[in-house]
This record gives sequence, C-alpha cells and structure tokens, in this order.
Amino acid sequence: MPTFPPRGLVAEFCEQVVASDLPDLPPDRRDVTVAFATRRIAGLPSPMKLAVGLVAVVVGGLGRVVGTRRLVGLLASRPLPIAGEYVRLVRSLTYAFVWETWPDTTRSGRPLDGVTP
Amino acid sequence: MSRPEAGSHHVADVVVVGSGAGGATTAAVVAEAGFDVLVLEEGADVRQGEVVPFSLEQMDRQYRAGGVTAAIGFPSIAYTEGCCVGGGTEVNSGLYRRPPEEVLDRWRTAYDIAGFDTAELYAICDEVERELAVQTVPGAQTAPSEAMRRGAAGLGWRHEEIPRWMTYEHGTDARSGRRRSMTETYLPRAVAAGARILSGHRVDRLVLDGGRATRLLATGPDRRPVTIDARHVVVCGGAIQTPALLQRSGLRHRIGRSLAVHPTVKLTARFPDELNVVDDVPVFQVKEFAPDLSFGGSASGPGLAALALSDSWARSGAAIEDWRRLAVYYAAITSEGRGAVRALPGLRDPLVTYRLTTRDRQLLGRGMARLALLMLEAGATEVHPSYRGAPVVRSRADLATLAATFAAGRASLMTVHLCSTVPIGDGPRSATDSFGLVRGTSNVFVNDASLLPDAPGVNPQGSVMALAIRNARHFVDTTKAAS
Repeated sequence: MPTFPPRGLVAEFCEQVVASDLPDLPPDRRDVTVAFATRRIAGLPSPMKLAVGLVAVVVGGLGRVVGTRRLVGLLASRPLPIAGEYVRLVRSLTYAFVWETWPDTTRSGRPLDGVTP
Repeated sequence: MSRPEAGSHHVADVVVVGSGAGGATTAAVVAEAGFDVLVLEEGADVRQGEVVPFSLEQMDRQYRAGGVTAAIGFPSIAYTEGCCVGGGTEVNSGLYRRPPEEVLDRWRTAYDIAGFDTAELYAICDEVERELAVQTVPGAQTAPSEAMRRGAAGLGWRHEEIPRWMTYEHGTDARSGRRRSMTETYLPRAVAAGARILSGHRVDRLVLDGGRATRLLATGPDRRPVTIDARHVVVCGGAIQTPALLQRSGLRHRIGRSLAVHPTVKLTARFPDELNVVDDVPVFQVKEFAPDLSFGGSASGPGLAALALSDSWARSGAAIEDWRRLAVYYAAITSEGRGAVRALPGLRDPLVTYRLTTRDRQLLGRGMARLALLMLEAGATEVHPSYRGAPVVRSRADLATLAATFAAGRASLMTVHLCSTVPIGDGPRSATDSFGLVRGTSNVFVNDASLLPDAPGVNPQGSVMALAIRNARHFVDTTKAAS
C-alpha cells in the first residue's frame, strides 16, 4: 500500500544526509539510523506529515535531476526556508539516534569503541 | 490498578478524556464523591522503570508522535506532549511551583473568573503538595544543577532550587528520587473509588444534541470503533488535544485561538570535569529576570546533546566526542505571542501554529546571551548556542559576536509548557464559564491546562492541578445539588 510521504524518497534523502554529515558511520549503523528517521517521519502528526511529504516529493524530484547527494550538499550549505527545515528535521532525528545509541562516536560517525567501520 | 476489558460500548456517569494532571485529579475527586467514572486515555500504560527517562524509547512509548511535534511558524517551535496513562506527569521534569499570587490576581481580573479565591486555591495546593510529596532534594545535587547554582551565585543573580514531586526512599541524592506522577497518586485513588481506566482509546468526536453530549465516538486498540454513553463529559486531553476534540465535535467558539507557551532557546556548555547526567534534569532555576526570562537545565544525554549541537555542527560538532563534559541549558521567556490549534477536515491531527512578537524575539536573544554569560561564570570552557551560524563562546568577549549573530529565526526553539487554548472565565475572551463548562453546552467540561488564561511564567502543573481539583469539586457539589 503506498504511503505518504513516500518511504522510499524519505529514506533516500535521510541516507544522503547521513552519508554527507557522518561519512564514517559504519553501513550497518547507517541503515539502522535511516530506518529510525524514516519511521519517525512516518509517525509525524498529519499536518506536519503532509508538509514534509510535499517537500520530500519536490526534493526527491529535484534529486532525480541534479542528484540527491549534490542536492543534500546544497541544502546543507545554504539553508532554505522550507527545504532547510526538512534537512534540519532529518539531522535532529539522526543525530539524536546515533549518539543515544552509540554515545562514543566521533563527529564524523566513526565509532570510538573499537568497532571497525 | 484494575483494567476493564476493552469492549465496543461503555456507559458511565462521567467520562474523563485524558489521564494527566487534569484528568487524573478530576477522576479521583469525582469518583470519590460516588460517581461512576470512566477514564479514556489514548496512550499506553507504561509503568515507571520500564523506560529510561528522557530516552528515545520513552519518546516512542510515552510521547505523542515520538516527541516530534511542532507549532508551525517563523520560526517553528518544537513541543512535546505526553501520550500515556498519567499524561505529561509521567515524562516531565517533575518540577513543581504554585501559581504565583499576582498571576492568580491577573487571571481573576482579566478573565472575570467567579469564585476564584486565592486562599482556596492555595489550600488545594497544600493538599496536592502533601499527596505528591513535593520537596527539595534532601541530599546532593547533580553536577549540572550545581553548575547552574554556581554561575548564578557568582553573578549575584537570584536563583532557587525548585521542589519536585518525588520521594527519596532509597537514598538522598537527586537521582535517587521516585516520581509521584499520576499513576502513583491520583489514578490509583480514582480506581480505588471505583473508576475504570481504558488505555489505548482515542476519542474522535462527541455527539452533541442541542448542546448536550449524548455519546462519545472513540477508536480502541486495533482500530476498533468504541462508543460511550455518559451523562457528563470532562475533556482533559491537554492544550492541543482538548481544543482539537472540541472542534471536531463542532464546538469552536473561542476554542483553540489563544495558545500560550513559554518559548525556550538552548545552549550546550562544556566543562573541565565530567558532569553529564543522562536520566535527570537540574533542579535549580535562575529567576533574576523573572517573569520575563528564566534559566534552567535540560535533559542532556548524548543524543540530546548532539541534537543541541546540530545547528552549528561544523563549529560545534567536535564537542560531542567529549559528551561526558557537556550539559544542556535553556532560557525560557514569558511570550506575548499567541498560537492556534485548528482541527482540519480529513486530517487526524490538528494544525498547531505560533507567532512570536518582536519583543519575544529580542527577549530570546537577550536570554541566550545572559545564559551564555551564566555558563561562563559557572566555569564552562566552551558554550555552544543552538542556532545556525552560532559562534563558540569561550570568553565574555565572544558574547558580542553572539548578540550580533543571534536571530530567533535561526534558532531551534522548543517548549514543553502549552496552555490557554480553552480559557476559563466569564469574560469576553473565555471559552468556558468560570468552572470549565464549555459555552453552548450543558454537560461538556474542560479541566486541564487549556483552561489557564495565559502562561503562568512558572512550571504549570501545580496551577493545572489546583484549578482542576477546584472545578471538579464544584462539579460534584452542583451536580449533587441538582439531583
């Protein structure tokens, strides 16, 4: 059954934000983090979910044209009023999750507890 | 606590919607007076100790939408709502303040609240404080709390320890307390008096006939429809859900238009020694600039510290690697802005908006600068304000840069105190009468934070409980007299 916001678009965007901000986060941790953020966004109150969904569709469409990775980089460096809030939401969810789950992590996502990335 | 079988139809004298500070006290007072009471709670029944306080798991299980809720505006303000048996009392900081006398005077006068007697309300506060064991920490404070006290003392700013509703049966230090939340106090009292509690039940709408609620339409666990017939309905869903339910039921007169909050800005302070406390919040607050501005401490686990640092990750992100030396603090303002709660057709949840005034924005900037100064005085080696483009403050000289670059629109604002969406009183701005009866109805009452005419400038739970008990007693007296 299709969901709104489309989970695939949200997950792809979350993945690129995490890859851009936390490049040393091991892939298994990245997957769990993206799943967490995607789940939380799916559980937003309905007006927020509607707004985030619309932004996700627009950003997803632009990402298809210019590349999601490049778009995330642009949005991260030049916060726009609405799309910037989307980045902020994803960041707040993913950062909170990463450091609550694995507190000893460098700012780039590398584990400090001996786990090999 | 007894739990009746969830069925498709229920009947009660009084249905209480919500089980937080307003709903639990209402249920206890009314059930103890001999009424047949049914409490409907949307959230789950999660007992103390099942989840770590202020953790993501707690947000998943005891907060609405996992704690990701916001009042939309420029900027938006993140807020949280408890959604569990016991409501916000199960998840908040547990700090307790009576409503200040001048606030009660203002409410009585500005909103024309009849029978709103300060002495009576303070007598109720006495009862509440005994029931909840409100007290200061008998032993040692946490290090983040002590840092706040030290900074305020160094600057000569007025500060105080805020008492909490906690018992200390297994130690005297701040972290050994056990919360006297609603699941430990008023809800067991209500159940002992015969009240029934149904968790996992969301009330979708009241069916009204000529201003009288005749039935409640709800959704039970597994999305099964549930109906409830009651002679009286008391809505206690909090300042967001209460007006939303009333609006979905066709009641809109002055409802949901006057949301009041205490907006806050945050910063993260880094200290020379380890001080981070994952599962508790500081109990000291700085009141030098009250009521306009108050400073206090926030939950500071590494996840929340990372969240606070995320706005300026390029400059401040490295601090997270030293999270044991970090603590998060806030500056809260008494806002002149107002917000709205609107139930929208076709959407399950209401749209919440909030608009800050120019004065609010300036006050938030002043609050951030003074809070940074307070942290430097407390011994912080670095202060990381939570707004985009924030400088790292290492000395008083950096405060000028902070003042020059701060803008409320760049900041991550949040609030936990929501109120005033269904204001009480007989005046022209009120949505209920002086005892919570919704205008245009004969048996629908509100009895929660929605009733507070404006934000009290202090932690509001004490105000909510005092008002709710007052109104519940009036309901009992008038209903018994009428019958």
